[in-house]
Amino acid sequence: MTEAPPRPGPATPAVPAPLAAPAVPAGRMKFSVDAWDPGYGTSLGEEELVESSAPVVLDVEVPESAWAPRDPAPGTAPPGAVLFVDGVRRVEARAWIHDSVPAGEQATSALPALCASYASGVVCCCEAGAHLAVAAVNRGTFTAAEHAGDVRTTAGDYPVRRTRATDPVGLSLALQRALGELEVESAAAARARLGDHTTGAGHHAGTDLLVVDGPLRGRQHLPRTLGFVKTHQSAYLPPRQHAMVGTLGPGQRTPVFLMGSSWDRHSWYLRLPGGPGAPWAGVVRVECGADMSAAEAIALADQSQVTLRRFASTEFKDARAPQNLYPIAGLERALRRRMGDPQLLYRALRRAAVA
Amino acid sequence: MTVEVGGSNGRRTAGPAREAAAVAPVGRVLGTEENTPLLFHVALLEGSYLQLDDVVVTIRAVPGVGPVMTAGIVTQVRARHEGASFGSDVFLIADGVLPAQVQEIAEITTTRVEPEVYVPPLPGEQVRRATGDERATALYFDMMDKRIPVGIGRDGNPIYVNLEFLDGTRGAHVSISGISGVATKTSFALFLLHSIFRCGVLGRAAVNTKALVFSVKGEDLLFLDHANSRLDEDKRAAYGRLDLPAEPFRSVGFFAPPLPDDISGQPNVASRKTGVAAFWWTIQEFCAGELLPYVFADAEDDRNQYTIVVHQVALRLRTDAVPAGADGAVSIDGQLVRTYSELVDLIVDRLTDEETRRDWAGPVTGAGTVNAFVRRLRSSLRSLRSLIRADLADSPRRKVSTADQQVTVVDLHNLPERAQRFVVGVVLAAETRRKEEAGPGSLLFTMIDELNKYAPREGASPIKEVLLDIAERGRSLGIILIGAQQTASEVERRIIANSSIKVVGRLDSAEAGRPEYGFLPPGQRARATLAKPGTMFVSQPEIPVPLAVEFPFPAWATRHSETAGPPPETAGPPSGSVPGQPGKPAPGTIPRNPFDLLPNPSDEVPPF
Repeated sequence: MTEAPPRPGPATPAVPAPLAAPAVPAGRMKFSVDAWDPGYGTSLGEEELVESSAPVVLDVEVPESAWAPRDPAPGTAPPGAVLFVDGVRRVEARAWIHDSVPAGEQATSALPALCASYASGVVCCCEAGAHLAVAAVNRGTFTAAEHAGDVRTTAGDYPVRRTRATDPVGLSLALQRALGELEVESAAAARARLGDHTTGAGHHAGTDLLVVDGPLRGRQHLPRTLGFVKTHQSAYLPPRQHAMVGTLGPGQRTPVFLMGSSWDRHSWYLRLPGGPGAPWAGVVRVECGADMSAAEAIALADQSQVTLRRFASTEFKDARAPQNLYPIAGLERALRRRMGDPQLLYRALRRAAVA
Repeated sequence: MTVEVGGSNGRRTAGPAREAAAVAPVGRVLGTEENTPLLFHVALLEGSYLQLDDVVVTIRAVPGVGPVMTAGIVTQVRARHEGASFGSDVFLIADGVLPAQVQEIAEITTTRVEPEVYVPPLPGEQVRRATGDERATALYFDMMDKRIPVGIGRDGNPIYVNLEFLDGTRGAHVSISGISGVATKTSFALFLLHSIFRCGVLGRAAVNTKALVFSVKGEDLLFLDHANSRLDEDKRAAYGRLDLPAEPFRSVGFFAPPLPDDISGQPNVASRKTGVAAFWWTIQEFCAGELLPYVFADAEDDRNQYTIVVHQVALRLRTDAVPAGADGAVSIDGQLVRTYSELVDLIVDRLTDEETRRDWAGPVTGAGTVNAFVRRLRSSLRSLRSLIRADLADSPRRKVSTADQQVTVVDLHNLPERAQRFVVGVVLAAETRRKEEAGPGSLLFTMIDELNKYAPREGASPIKEVLLDIAERGRSLGIILIGAQQTASEVERRIIANSSIKVVGRLDSAEAGRPEYGFLPPGQRARATLAKPGTMFVSQPEIPVPLAVEFPFPAWATRHSETAGPPPETAGPPSGSVPGQPGKPAPGTIPRNPFDLLPNPSDEVPPF
């Protein structure tokens, strides 16, 4: 899931706080330019990485003392099919639901509402090529107003979705929740359809890998599923292990560790292939559910290493290379197109409001 | 959805499969590009295809009018990846990394809107291939009372031209352009004649319809009455699809110049022993018919002063020459003239003699002008002495005439260029005069190759006058010009402009860019530079887009090695009447060398 870019971000420190500042030889400063478009900020988030208080179990794969960059286990085969799940959302209009008053009188107050489009889809990368397996577009009017009804326009209907929040942030979160639900539905639908494939009829069923763009929260129950986190807000690892992340080579990962905050999951850092850059350039954090054995999580981690690097984008093609994977970028484009032209939708909403 | 169209080779699938495919839509009118009533775009369904020259139709409802059908021809087809923005994305897509969709889009040039409500087709409307009556409507075949098949369209069905634009009713003349060797201009012109004679639309008038063919390249046209031994069943079937008999021409007369320095009057041909008549003009005809101007038929001749001498001398020859003997000799002032060189000597004598110069060259002509004339006259000696003579026994068969057979072939390839001009000019002038006297009612198709030589864009000459006269007045006289040239840009504009039917074979890319080919849409212009032998683009006034046709392999032999022998009843000399029964082509052996089965481009042999 993404928000559209241009947001002027505050100056970001070149090195995350938990890392020791590199020794700068006198007279020559070494620096690198972030591959991400400045409009997106950096992969390290807009602010300094805050040291997370979440409990971390480091010795899931190797003892804490043996932490070192890991290559995939020999013989690890990529899955037969990789499913990438993503969603996009767009607020088409901010609306006000007028209080209900007897006919002839004018309302004196109103509650905010969001008229939004949100879409989710799945790209399946298999022997048949990369293709859009599922795409669903929904619209909704998010509001706390009790008497609100569906908004019907010439360019689509916005069924009402009642929320408890009345503030814009709360409405936005409600939209995010709805999108999350739609993503889960899409993922399930795509998995169900794998058997219909004309090529390799059904033999991928059970060997496929589902990659969710963003944290896995709320989707931990899906089997063989990875969360793919591009942006790092917190430093979850203790300083020594955290520093090791910067030394990962392309395709290498940290050992698997177990994180618990409000929810538990296995996680590891992985560096995608890309040009040389800052110590954390091209590093993503991958998650999988906590309700599996450590061996299963390690197998998934190995599989993520051999799988994800293939889909990493290059700088000149993507503003968030290499973390924004090609299939996900393509999926987002396809979904945005399916949501329709925003100007047209906005005009239809304005017209419906005065009708 | 998947629609299977055509067979494994993509086209020419006959029968129910084609019918079924015809009903299914191939796509929908596109909405992301502007559609106009005259040009619109179609996004193709997955599993469907359209190729250039396919005929499609779409129908939209117009309030208050009802359904409006827009029919057109595919003039361009594009395929591209949607969802990709970089050229290198194609590798990612092929590797299964980036999702994208292949979309084909066809550009349609409208040929017909029925009823005539010029509204654009609406985005989203279904588009389907036009077949049967719809195709006939799209290409105006339904409005042609008399139509002549000119070949097979890309969809495997016949393409017609309207006879009314050939026979002078509403238009006349055919202009065929293309590179020598690969454009198959002569083959197409002959096929067109075959089609006109045999398709049946002329009815009883077919008997009196004649063709005069000037052959300038080799002896290829001397076997028009012989069946082609390379014609196999497949090629025969092409004639069947056009409803034409796969037979050689039935009534052909061949004329060739006499062998030089031979007093027996044998025709100068190597490959054909019988059925060819030698032609020449007697001194008497030369004098009485005032043929002298045709000796001076170069374009530059017109700009010179000596043309006045030409006309003065021609006049003197007409008035002073007295017939002498049975073989066409004349006596001028008591002096017997039997050969062209004697005639030239006599004229030169008269012009150089102070006494007679005034009478022969005109009263005020200077010596320089007279000398220029004499120089040119003497230089014509070598070219023309075998054609203008009275030293051979006269024969009724020596006169080039279209009266006795349907197709008259005049072989010029052995003649020097100056003599070629003379023959073309004199024969055409005579035929024009004959048609003028006979009045309209029958047609004479005159086929001239290398028209740019006879009617060049610049300058004037007696032959150009005759050709211009035919181009401008021939429509009412019943003389139809079928002109072929490598470059239409070098032919007199008025002749090209008067041609109702314009045909283009393979073109040189520089030539294709000239304004003379403005009738070709850009796509066809580009395609004409890679047209295969046997493929022509035919433009006719009724249809706004030229149609690509493939015409069948000649059913007549185009060289000695191809001949399957003469048909039994026309083996002799040109007979006095058109035979009523079609000649049965002899079976002959069919060579199995694959190259022999290619369309034969060698009717126009380089060097050009």
